[in-house]
Amino acid sequence: MTMWGQYSYGLLVVMVAAIIAFFALAREYDDFHKFLLLDLIEIPSLGVIALLGTDLAEALVLPGLTVGIAEQLALSQIYCVKQGIKERPVSRLNIEVVAIGDAPLIISIFLVVYGILLSGFTGGGVAGLGLVYFFASRGYKENLNMLEMASGISWALWIFAFFCFMFLPDYWFIALMCAAVGIVLKVTVKMSLVGTMWGENRE
Amino acid sequence: MSDPIGGVPYYILEFGDELVYFTPYTITLFLLALTFTVLVIISRPERQMDIAFGGDAYGTKEISLTELQFRRFMAIACGLASMGAMVTGDIFNFTLFTAMVGITNVGIVAAVKSHHVQDAAFQYGLVALCATVPLFGGAAVYAASTGSLSMIELMKGTLPAVPLIAKALLVIGVVGEGMAPFYAAKAEMFRAPGAPYVIMCSLSSLLIFLRVVEVVMLG
Repeated sequence: MTMWGQYSYGLLVVMVAAIIAFFALAREYDDFHKFLLLDLIEIPSLGVIALLGTDLAEALVLPGLTVGIAEQLALSQIYCVKQGIKERPVSRLNIEVVAIGDAPLIISIFLVVYGILLSGFTGGGVAGLGLVYFFASRGYKENLNMLEMASGISWALWIFAFFCFMFLPDYWFIALMCAAVGIVLKVTVKMSLVGTMWGENRE
Repeated sequence: MSDPIGGVPYYILEFGDELVYFTPYTITLFLLALTFTVLVIISRPERQMDIAFGGDAYGTKEISLTELQFRRFMAIACGLASMGAMVTGDIFNFTLFTAMVGITNVGIVAAVKSHHVQDAAFQYGLVALCATVPLFGGAAVYAASTGSLSMIELMKGTLPAVPLIAKALLVIGVVGEGMAPFYAAKAEMFRAPGAPYVIMCSLSSLLIFLRVVEVVMLG
């Protein structure tokens, strides 16, 4: 009974948040600001799922988040084409302290190490964030084909682990290890590629 | 199973947490999606004709090969997502496939070099993004109230009844993703040239709407 009460209150809060966000969207006429507000609107939808409070919820938040990010990337690309935005002079975070100091390196190393310790999806997310921050602050420009390849191989490892779980359940421990390593590499690499490869002309 | 809506399932595949089943209803929709995807793969796109009223002048629009390749890819992706949405037996997977159909519908016309079409695609994309709130919200309330996302379990009638609000949220979400019969908002997008690919937009919308009707009648 108390659980239902908590769930209902949580649902109410999320719905109020969604309504506020929709209200803001209805009052906004600029395309770019509408697009930014949609970022806010995505969050209540993940909140509703997270309110389930089980491990199922975690498994559902991730695809929900992925679909939301995919839609936003697609829309932002359409916006750039629509507005004729081609040149992007900003190649890194334009903050003097960040660009020169050692702070980005230290923070990135901390995040990557912490992410590897966490392992799994969450760890991959944290470690990837560290790499994104590093690339963004240093203006990293290099051939990222190796990272792409690592992403592909770790994904294959992850899938192999899944098949191991399905068809050879006796070898669950090796499958678990493969899945953990595969997914942490995969998410780390994937996240670090977002934003660095974005918008490059890859001929 | 007491009186399933789409008929008695012929075949149920449970693979981990993936659940796929075929009833007479869903297999019809699946075959329709499959046929159109194959048509998109093998057909040659048409060129849009411009005819000037009051004269004999007419001409065809030039479309670059890369643009057509991108749109064919998006149309095939849209067909695959529609097929997935037709046969999936999991409410959340259904909402994910619906969201994917929404994205690919935008993608099919996004490569078109026409300002009107791009503007319409962007506005429609905004609506589709908004619609993920009721879409995922509906699926989450399904799970919260019945404890299951499996359509097979819902079909059995042993679970608690699904609240009306969950069904309403699901339908609003699907409609917001631009599904029939409310895709009038997408009309401007259909000005894009290239016949078989643009038709994939409306066909997938129609199929998704037919499926959501079945889904909301299950629980």
